[in-house]
Amino acid sequence: LKERIMAINLNRRSFLASASGLVVAVAIPVDAAGPSGMTSLHAYVHIKPNGSVHVHSPVTECGQGTHTAHCAIVADELGIDIASVSIETGMPADAFRRGTAPNKSMGTGGSWGVRHWYEPMRKGAAQAREMLIAAAAQKLGVEASTLIAQSGAVVHAASGRTLGFGALAASAAKMTPPENPVLRPKSELKYSRSELRRVDIPAKVAATHKYTSDMVLPGMVYACAKLNPVYRGEAESFNKASALKVKGVLDVIAIPGGAAVVARSSWAAMQGAEALDIVWKPSKADALSSAEISAAIKEGLGASDSAIARQGGDVTGSIKNATTVISVDYEVPYLLHAPMEPWNCIVHDTGRSLDFWGPVQAQDRFLSRIAAVSKYAPENIRLHTVMPGGGFGRRLSDDGVPGAVIVAQALKRPVKFFYTRETDLAVGWLRPAQGARLQASFDAAKNLTSWSIRTSGPSMRMDFGAPGSMKVGDLDGASVQNLSDIRYKIPNHKFDYAMRHLGPPTAPWRAVGATHNAFFVECFIDEIAAFMAKDPLELRRSLLAHDPRALAVINDCAAASGWSTAAPQGRARGFSYFESYGSLCAQVVEASITDGKLRVHKVITSLDCGDVISPDGARSQIEGGVIQGLSAAIGEALTVEKGRGIQTNFDSYSILRIGDAPTEIISRFVISGAPLGGVGEPPVPPVFAALANAVSKLTGKPVRKLPINEV
Amino acid sequence: MIRLTINGRAKTIAADPDTPLLWVLREELGLTGAKYGCGIGQCGACTVHVDGVAVRSCATPVDSVKGTKITTIEAFGGTHPVQQAWIEAQVPQCGYCQPGMIMSSVALLAEKPKPTNADIDEALAGHICRCGTYPRIRAAIKRASGQA
Repeated sequence: LKERIMAINLNRRSFLASASGLVVAVAIPVDAAGPSGMTSLHAYVHIKPNGSVHVHSPVTECGQGTHTAHCAIVADELGIDIASVSIETGMPADAFRRGTAPNKSMGTGGSWGVRHWYEPMRKGAAQAREMLIAAAAQKLGVEASTLIAQSGAVVHAASGRTLGFGALAASAAKMTPPENPVLRPKSELKYSRSELRRVDIPAKVAATHKYTSDMVLPGMVYACAKLNPVYRGEAESFNKASALKVKGVLDVIAIPGGAAVVARSSWAAMQGAEALDIVWKPSKADALSSAEISAAIKEGLGASDSAIARQGGDVTGSIKNATTVISVDYEVPYLLHAPMEPWNCIVHDTGRSLDFWGPVQAQDRFLSRIAAVSKYAPENIRLHTVMPGGGFGRRLSDDGVPGAVIVAQALKRPVKFFYTRETDLAVGWLRPAQGARLQASFDAAKNLTSWSIRTSGPSMRMDFGAPGSMKVGDLDGASVQNLSDIRYKIPNHKFDYAMRHLGPPTAPWRAVGATHNAFFVECFIDEIAAFMAKDPLELRRSLLAHDPRALAVINDCAAASGWSTAAPQGRARGFSYFESYGSLCAQVVEASITDGKLRVHKVITSLDCGDVISPDGARSQIEGGVIQGLSAAIGEALTVEKGRGIQTNFDSYSILRIGDAPTEIISRFVISGAPLGGVGEPPVPPVFAALANAVSKLTGKPVRKLPINEV
Repeated sequence: MIRLTINGRAKTIAADPDTPLLWVLREELGLTGAKYGCGIGQCGACTVHVDGVAVRSCATPVDSVKGTKITTIEAFGGTHPVQQAWIEAQVPQCGYCQPGMIMSSVALLAEKPKPTNADIDEALAGHICRCGTYPRIRAAIKRASGQA
């Protein structure tokens, strides 16, 4: 029986709730020849015996809607009803990796979900279709060119004969995949570019979707991490007996950063962790504070050591000959990702291999870390990606991996390793704090003659990049993100970065460095416009006069927001435009302040992401991106004191709630036909500045520091 | 032993009396629709009904709900009009907070069949959605109440 259980663990995946709902048993095999007889025609495309299709996606569905787009792409190319298509994230494999060797990796980020995978998935599905057609041609003894694939079957129109995908799959799998399959013409694509219903929504609404936190394996125990709240801190010692006094606690195991309290239930594990006497090891981070980090950032703004991202013309000469020079400093705080599902994962070391289930966003990063800690070769590790309760970049960091693997290997039984909310926020890698000094010079007629942007602060890539890939003093692309390729044409310019690397570990946060750079640049443009006594939108138009694509986006947003008309009584409008992840995005925020209370009424977004494959999914991403950006701009900041974050839960870390959400969010697409751009991230960066610019108009004072509520 | 009525069925609970209801539901009864989000009644992901009133089960000792009628999202089976409206309005993104949002919305509509935006904002003030689905939540509630 033991062998049999092991075989099930190795050959099956995806969980179904058992009748009691208490234990989730395993079902649905991965590859060909599995118990349910699913046949693989391509890494992405698998045919079930009943002819329905199961897709393995390279991307984690965090709620951004990518899986729905992938189902549409495959359904369209194959010729099958989208209702007959199911999907899950595949296990790490080459077909799911992006990038070029040796840096190819599987992961979800950079808003690549549709823009990168559209073509490979279309091609994969077209290959599968041609293999099915070739198999049908053989069976029917007709030319492949006389056959078409539609509604889950291959049809010979001349004779009316039809063969379902299920009946063809086995022989199709023996065909050589065509190297250059013919893609269907746009006119035959039924689902792409149409209003799709998200495939993951019904189970989420019925609450039948099992997040990792809902999953239970037979014999599973729970391990609650108790970690030093000081960043990168370790434990000196702990008194096991203090936790064992709690009913249900089974063991306490040392892990990096502290200890894991193992118990029969998660509640007992949490109580045990609470009760555990633990002594933290003193470290030099114990005294670290936001004030110290802020001082280092400010020093970096004027320092002579910097790495140049781009320069042109003669900034020094322009400043020397200028009648006026404006120089202003901006600063933004650390931000937490704070997805709603705190970190948890399930690990089972079977003795010959290791299974890992979790809300994973960076599969290869996790796989490498699991392999390094467990000593299993990657081919003996099965990484099961479970749809997460939120991502935003939090699932890229593998801080939760080593402890989980250590405990599972010590116990040799399935272990659910988890963080409390407090631990999740305490050890979560952060969007770095960052500062900027922006300078502009003008001649006597107030013509803009040069500008420069110096960013300064912690380097995200020093923490998150491959070890050794960045050293002190280097140019971190995240700190100058989307400055080098900025479309504003100002011949005399200089953009550089002074690394001041101290503080908590940092990682990508939805839209990464664009979140602060859009704030710096787009607020400064408004400040320049104010000095020149120009309408801020007109100034942007003049700086983009050479660029019809950018003009189309800002003009669309200007028209849709009624920019040229007066704002409703008591309200002000702020404009912003920023490009990131291959998409151009303009936004207008309409806000008011009554009795000191800031209120955002309306946000209009115009996005040019080339083309839109899943329009409602994209609108949903714009709405969510706008709200996440507003949330951060209005109220979010992680403050460091005594080496730790002082916001430890949602009572102190302020996330925007429904009453503060705009009543109107208008999402518009400008279809330029340019190569596909991202959707999940580009609407986030400009909203920081659009809001700040509206607030500046209302108060008469420029906003140069975030969050707005704390200034 | 504590006796509870959950989704119309009598249950006998072995947990200690001070165990919060959330962990009893999730781990003793296998009702995982209510989620752990913060543990301090700040995010609303754990919301269930106690005698029709939306409460935060993470901060409700199981002992305190003896003799009450407890309803969790599992009672609705995915077919409740509010759940249908949620699908029509394509509300969820990651979905983790949505069972709690739905529970509070069902309680709101029982009390106020035609809620205004202000009613909705007040009823859901104790909830957090990190994905930012608030506009669609408002739209779904309006739809469920026949106002859209």
